Formats: sequence, C-alpha cells, structure tokens
Amino acid sequence: MSADNYHMLEELGSGSFGVVYRALDKRTGQAVAVKHIDLEGSDDDIREIQQEISLLSTCHSAYVTNYLDSFVRGVKLWIVMEYLGGGSCLDLIKPGPMEEKYIAIIMRELLQGLDYLHSTGKIHRDIKAANILLSEDGRVKIADFGVAAQLTNIKSQRLTFVGTPFWMAPEVIQEAGYDFHADIWSLGITAMEMAMGEPPRSDVHPMKVLFLIPKEKPPRLEGSQYSKELKDFVALCLNKDPDRRPSAKALLKHSFIRRAGKTEQLQELVQKAKAFENGSVRERDVRYYEETLRDVTLEDADDDWVFSTIRPSASIRQPSYARSTIKRPKLDRIPSEDETDRGAALAMQGMSLKSAPLGDFSTPGDCTPTKEPSTIRTPKVRSNDARKISSATSRKISVSSPTARRTSVRQASGATPTARRVSGQPKQPLGLDMSFGNGASTVRMFKRVSSDDNHDNSKPSSASQFQIGSPQDSVFDADAENRPPPQQQHRLPPAPVVAATKESILGRRTYAKCIEPALQEAQATTADRTNREALSRVAEAWSRLDELDPEGELLLLKGMLERISADPKLAAALLPQPDLRAHQSPTKKASMISTSTTSTLVNPDSAEILSTSSPSKLSSSSAPRRNSELLPSSPPKPQQQHLTPTKQPSQISHTRDPSSPGKLVLNPQNPHLKKLRCSQQFAPQPEQLSPERERGLPGGKQEPGMEHVGFVAEALYGRWAEGLRGRWGVMG
Amino acid sequence: MSKFVGPDGQTAKNEEELAKHISLVKVTLQGTPEVEADQQTVFALVSAILAEGLLPLLVDHIHRLPFEARKDTQTIISNVFRFRSPGSTSSEPDALREVIRKQPEIIIALCKGYERRESASPCGGILKEALKWDAVAAVILYDEPLPDGKTVDIYNDVDTSAPASGRGVFWSFFGWIDKSSFEVSADAFDTFRLLLTKHKPLVAQYIGTNFDLFFERYNDVLIRSESYVTKRQSIKLLGEVLLDRQFYEVMTRYVDSGDNLKLIMWQLKDDRRMVQYEGFHVFKIFAANPNKSYEVQKFLIMNKQRLLKFLPNFLADRTDDDQFNDEKAWLVKAIGNLPDSTAALTPPSQQSSAGMGAQQAQAQVRS
Repeated sequence: MSADNYHMLEELGSGSFGVVYRALDKRTGQAVAVKHIDLEGSDDDIREIQQEISLLSTCHSAYVTNYLDSFVRGVKLWIVMEYLGGGSCLDLIKPGPMEEKYIAIIMRELLQGLDYLHSTGKIHRDIKAANILLSEDGRVKIADFGVAAQLTNIKSQRLTFVGTPFWMAPEVIQEAGYDFHADIWSLGITAMEMAMGEPPRSDVHPMKVLFLIPKEKPPRLEGSQYSKELKDFVALCLNKDPDRRPSAKALLKHSFIRRAGKTEQLQELVQKAKAFENGSVRERDVRYYEETLRDVTLEDADDDWVFSTIRPSASIRQPSYARSTIKRPKLDRIPSEDETDRGAALAMQGMSLKSAPLGDFSTPGDCTPTKEPSTIRTPKVRSNDARKISSATSRKISVSSPTARRTSVRQASGATPTARRVSGQPKQPLGLDMSFGNGASTVRMFKRVSSDDNHDNSKPSSASQFQIGSPQDSVFDADAENRPPPQQQHRLPPAPVVAATKESILGRRTYAKCIEPALQEAQATTADRTNREALSRVAEAWSRLDELDPEGELLLLKGMLERISADPKLAAALLPQPDLRAHQSPTKKASMISTSTTSTLVNPDSAEILSTSSPSKLSSSSAPRRNSELLPSSPPKPQQQHLTPTKQPSQISHTRDPSSPGKLVLNPQNPHLKKLRCSQQFAPQPEQLSPERERGLPGGKQEPGMEHVGFVAEALYGRWAEGLRGRWGVMG
Repeated sequence: MSKFVGPDGQTAKNEEELAKHISLVKVTLQGTPEVEADQQTVFALVSAILAEGLLPLLVDHIHRLPFEARKDTQTIISNVFRFRSPGSTSSEPDALREVIRKQPEIIIALCKGYERRESASPCGGILKEALKWDAVAAVILYDEPLPDGKTVDIYNDVDTSAPASGRGVFWSFFGWIDKSSFEVSADAFDTFRLLLTKHKPLVAQYIGTNFDLFFERYNDVLIRSESYVTKRQSIKLLGEVLLDRQFYEVMTRYVDSGDNLKLIMWQLKDDRRMVQYEGFHVFKIFAANPNKSYEVQKFLIMNKQRLLKFLPNFLADRTDDDQFNDEKAWLVKAIGNLPDSTAALTPPSQQSSAGMGAQQAQAQVRS
C-alpha cells in the first residue's frame, strides 16, 4: 500500500478540508507534506476534490507547489505534496510589514508561477499571502488550488464567484466574465498586503468589501515610505479594467521586479518569522500523526437481514444492545499534565469525535462571515461550511456505531426537534401511530418521548442537558415505562451497584446519556487547561457518584431541575420554551400549527410532516423537493385543513429560518437534492393528468392496505409518468 | 507546416525537439492569451493533421511524451475535435465527424489511455469534451472486437437489439474504475458517469438490451468494490440513474430484482456512513415502488421487524438533512404498513392485475 511508503511526522496545520502532516518518504528520505482528507466527513462529491487533484497533477513548475501522489486509504484520501518548511507569506508578515526588497523577490517568483499557470490555461483565483509558501532556502511557490480553474479553451472566460473578498478583482465580483487578469489584481492586493501587513480595506467587513471593490476607485499604495516603483507596480495590477491590466509576462519586465535580488535573501525573512513565532506566541506544541482507530462494527448476527428462511416476526428478539456496552473512551483519556495544551486539545477532539456532537453549536459561527479572510467559493461557499458541519457530525458517528444504535438523535438547531424525535424513537413506531389523531394524548405522548430522547440525545451543553425537565414534567416515570430494563443494564458499564430500582436505573441512564456526554463535550470545547482540569474533577466525582448511588444522582439532578424551573429567569434561559407551550396547551395544538413548526412536526404522520414542511423548504432554501409534489396529490389531513397553502410558506419559513441556519447551508449541497432540483423543473403536476391516464400510470393503482405508498410513490413516480406519457402512446 | 517526426525511437534530444514542435502546434491552434490564432492557418493545420494521420500517432504514443507535451497533445487533439469549418452545419464538428466515420479507433484508443497513469488524464480530458456528442458515446458503447481487427462503424454496423459481448471498450471501464490508482480511477469514473448520463436515450436503450450483463458488472465490480471511493460513487450514480425519468424502464426492471434489493440492503449495513447514505437513496426506490415484485415484497416483509428496528436509528445524526429525515420517516411508515407475514402474498403468477403500469413497462422493455 502506498501509505506505507510514508513515515508520518508532526501535524503542520489543518486547512479547509483536511489535516496536513509532515512526513518522510521512506524510499527517498525526502520530506513531504501529506494532506489527509476525510471523505466520510463530507457529503460533497468526491469529484470536486478529484478536480483539484487533477489540476494540481498537471502543474509542473518550480514556482508551484509540487504534487507528488494521491491515494485512498480506508475512507481517507492522502495527497502527497512537496514539503515547504518556510511557512507562508502570511507568516512572514506576522512580525510586521515586509521590506520592499523582499516584496520584489516574492513578486517576481509569483509572476513566474502565474505566467506558468496562465500559459497552461489555469486561473488560480485565490492569490493572497496565505497561499504563497516558501521553502526554507527561500524558494517561493504558489499553493492551494482549491478554487483554481482549468480552462479547456485558452480564450474562454469564467463566471464563478470565487476567491477571498479582500483580494477579489472587481470583474470577478460583478460576475461578468473574467480571465487570467483576475489573478493579476489579486497579486496587486497581495503586494499591498505584504507592504502594509494587511490587505487594503481590511477594517471593513468582507461582505461590504464586495460592494466597495467594484464601486470605489482601486486602492493605491500611499505614503513616502514606499518607493515609486512599488507604487507604480501596484497601480498597474490594480486597474479596474482587466483588459488594461498587464499580463504576468509583461509585469516581469517592470522596473520594480527587475531590480529584485536572489531568492536566498528570503532565508533571512524566514528565519526572522520563525524567531518571531517562537518568541511571542506560546510554544507551538507539536501534534503527531495518530492512526485513527475505527470501531469495527461487527453487527450482531441477529441484526443481519434475512433473505433465505422465513422466520415469524415474533421470533425476532428484543434489540440487543451488547454493542453499546463498549464504554466509550472518556475520562481515562483526559490528558495528564505532561501533555501539552494542544496535544491535549487534540486528544479531547479525538474524544469528542466519539461522543460529543460538536458540530451543531459551531455551525452558526461558521456561517457568519467573519473578518477571518476565508476563501469564498461559489457554490462552495456553502460546501465549505457544510463540510465542517458534516465532518463534525458524521465523523463522530463513523467511529461510534455502537452509540449510534441508541437513539442518538440530537436537536440540530431547535427547528424541528420533535419531528426528529419521532423518527428517532426506535421502540414504538406503532405506538406513535396509535396516538395519532388524538390531540391531547399525542402531545403528551410526544412530550414523554421527546424528553426521553433528550436523554438519548445527550446534548452536551449544560443548557440542553437541563431541557429534560420542564416544570410539570413526569419524565422519569414515563421513561421507565418506555424502556425495558435489560437494555439499560447492557448499556451501563460494569458497576459495583446494580441498578435495581426504577430510580437507580434512571439515574444510571441520566449519567450515561446526559451527564457523561455533556462533560465530555465541555472538556472537548474547553481550551484552558485549568478549566479543563476542574471539569475533569467534576467528571470524576460524578462518575463516582454514579457508581455508588445512581438514585441519589437522579435526585440531585431532579432537584437541580426543579430549582431551575422555579426560577423564571433560569427557566427561560435553560428550558425549551416552545416545548413548554406545546405541553401546557395540548388542545391548542391545531392553532399552533400555523405559528410554530415545532409543534406541527410533532405529528407523527409522515405525510403531514411532509406537506407542512415542504412549503417552507420551497421558500427558505428555494429548493423545491420531491415532497412538494405531495401537496396537490395527498389529501389534506382533517386537522390541517385550516391551513391554506398560501398562508403556510411565509409563516413557517419565518419560524424555521432563523433557527435552522444549517438547513440553507446543507441542503443545497445535497447531491440528491441538486439533481432533484433540476428535474423538478420538468416535474409534471400530478393533477394535470387526466383520470384515465392516471389509472394507467404506476402509482395510480394501489393495492388494498398499501394506500400509504401512494403519497410518496406518486411523488417519486410523478416525474417518470411524464416521461411515459411522452413516449408511450400505450399509456394514454 | 507540421514537421512531425514519429514519436518512435526518441533520444532525449529528439524528445525535447518533439516537445517543442508539439508546443508550437498547440500555440498555432489555440493562440496565446495575448495573440489570437489565425483561422486560416488553423484550418490548414487541422487538415494537415487529419490528412497525415497524426491523430492516431499522437494518441498511441501520448504516454511516452514528456509531461508538458502530454498536456499540449491533449490541447491539440481537443482543438482538432472542436474544429468547425466556417458555414458547417453538421451536428458534430467537422474534424470529429471525420474521425467518427473514418477512424473511430481513435476514440477507442483514447479510452484505452486509462490503462496507463501517464495517458489517463490527457486522454480522459479529450474524451470528456468529446462526449458532448452522442456519436462519440455510441462509438464507445457499441464497440466490439471484430475478427478483422477493425472498429465498429456506428453508422452501418450497429444493431441496437443485439446484446453486447461484454468485451467492448465500454466494459473495460468497470475494471479501470475498480483497479486503477485513485487518480486514474476517479478520472475513469468521471468519464463513465458522463457516458451514462449525457445521452440518456442512447444509454437507456443500450442498458435495456444488455440489462443483465450491465447490472452483473455494475453490482459485482463497482458496488461490491473494495475501494471506498468506487463503491460510494457507484451507488450514488446508480441512484441518480434510477431516479431519472429517461431510465424508467431500467429502473422498473432493476427494482423488480430481489438480488438487487439484497445487495442494497447490505449497503445500508456498511460500516461507512456515506455508503449507507447513498445506499438509502437506492433502497427507498424499492420501497416506493407501488408494484413490488413478489420477491421484493417477500424480502421486505421477511425483514420488516428488522427494518423497523434499524431504520429509525439509521444515520440518526443527519439532523440537518430534512429531506433525508422526511424520506426516512416515510420509509418507516411504508414498511410498517407492509403485512407481517409473507403468507398473504400473491404468488408471482397471479400478480399481473396488481401492477399494470410497471408490468406494461416491463413488457415493453422485454418485448
């Protein structure tokens, strides 16, 4: 295996979609940089990554980071590149702005690189100091081809809105078609960045910068500290008319470039930057490569599908949770003092991968544009975020299959928690159906289920942990009824006290599902060592309590919850308000449908979920789905009839949008959705079909007892139906 | 105009010389960012390249050229394939049509570029652009090894109802995708995907004729591949193809098969999440089919309780994926509504009245 050719060393950093390590090629002894991309961590098409690789692999220049190899190992893609130990140009200007003599050298090397790229039909589209790497001996190389474009025809233009705002050329922002000259603009901005330490307008919000660049006069380097040549060079690059911007080749003849010295001079700069980093920043801690251990999820034989012999369904045993008894690595993995901060942080991250859902909370932050100049890609501006989200969540799962088998449903953003609880309820799919239609009992039923699942959710922040108890709650009683004891016993780590009473079982459960994961999450998200130590002491103490006295544990938690709910301010902050309303006024459910999606989605009937939620999807993500086709075809449910279709979209999208930022981000990336969106345009309206035709179409006929299939089946087959009509006279 | 030396028996100096010439031809054909190519010269050059039979030479030896010359060669061939003489009205560009009519073996040779790492990317690049034209797809699909060593002439030799032998170049893609290094495999898969999805009526007819062979290879080589990337991408592509209206007949036949259902159900139990996820999008098609075959109904019913236990927790972390959760909820309900025992199932022979639509569809395809 190719991976065995490399001896992995320390981590160099982590980029938009991968961690980069230094490594040695065992065959040559040569130092290389190896980027690991977790393919499981992203819904994205592997194609995008492949395109970057194919672009890189067709670059062969002394001025471009050299691609060496790529291969897949397990679910990780390894990309092997030449190792550049001098850091990026951004590192070089961290100590302060760069002297002109250095800028001239770097610019000359960059122009050589751009000339190469442009002559081979490539546009980099993200030239900036951070993407320029240096070797220790001062060679300068263009790096990061994540958004680069390969033109099939040298004369063709691009439209894609891509790059990093501060460095983007006006014609790129205006999306009016651009070519190689866009890189020259970014180069001019990069020259200013190196001379001033920051790109122009760096104090402006990046989104606002996008308006300013095309509107305002191009930035100029001003001040007597800069030479006339540099100012002129910058001014030439920053011409708003791309056609009047010189090519890379032409700029190589500029007087500022011609006077540039040898690249060896840059070694001083590299040394200076290294000294600066070592001196001012706290000791950079080294993280070493660790082979990720994947849980081998050996399914219980009993869980395997059965295709040969017919067993009566009664013989299928109660779900065995044997796999869940595997104790997740936790407190014992809390780093001891001798580990460095970052090492510890890594260890904690590793832990959180197995247990704590970090992804959801970090999402909103990821979505809001920050001053951090992160590269924009369209449509990848979303995919970037989506990647982060999905990598956090699905990586967690990929290593924790045993836990996933529990009801590990989490509230993503509070938007539709109840709906998920429904689908996450593993034991009583039929029970849910029985309760359907009985307004009051439905809600109560779900209240139990949902609070139960809140345990399962193990939402790790203290806030959501306490969601389990609302004032009038009888969570714990309900819980014991819902879950057969053996299951908990399996799930518990071996403990001195056998949980026998209802209370002690619940105590155990509380610990396993809420407290322990919450503590782990807190650990994982706490960077400060002192704080983490304190946390780990709490964790230890609590685990002791759980071992000895699960009943007391439960009482303690109950007491806490009661006090929280007694205090209006705390209750408001910590307890889920929408749920409360739903609980308090179950009979008002119908009237709440129009204002709160949450309560609407409580309804277990999937058809109803589909029909109420699809309009909001239409409006909020402008991504019509197949579900929306259900609207005309599925008969409205009685308790929903007051909902006029025109009323739904705005209201529901209002209630949903702000609370679920992840939706807009993720869904357009769903490859299946993309495809649907395209085909949707051609989707026939089922009611347009004449009745005779409908009878002839698949989906039109239903066997007795199979009517339920009709809803989605009709939607699924609707599109096919159109094709049939077109081509088969038979059907008409 | 083209001072070509055959790329055989090159010394290092020859190689350099050759690379220079190739680069020159490239610049003449496409110009530079600064200088527009001269149309008359281009016309003359393209004619010369075709007349002197340079294309097969270039394609056959592309792997032996130096790095930049390989890319230049790609540009040259792509430019030739793109070339249209002024006033031309044919669907394909003139030079490409010439090639398809008279030298279709060039297209086949380009596919075989996937046999080598050096030639995979340039040949793949040319192919992907040329696949814009359905004639190119047809050349690849209907390629058969002929006793006289010639390449099938798609305009005269093709009988769309005759089953393929499985030895044509199209069938080699399965192996290239499964067995090659990541770069080559991913490139070959990209071309394969384009081939299947770009000219759907053509491909639907082809798969219809070669249904069993196609899915035997697809299931065995791609879906059961050891390679994570191949497996994941091929399940996804399968889902896309099946859900496409133009592949309706293919879909109805596919979802009738209990073996296909079994294979997909095992994918739901794969230990890699994205494989499960892509598998789900195929599995739902089986469940949504209102006219399930006896076999499919039987398997679903036999596993009803297991599915009802399995599905609610299936990929439960995809909380942000509303569409997925909606579909999953629906699926749970649909399966919950299946009968508990296979006893009540109508045996295959008496089922005909139940599923008119799909039955007719199959009848059409099978007739």
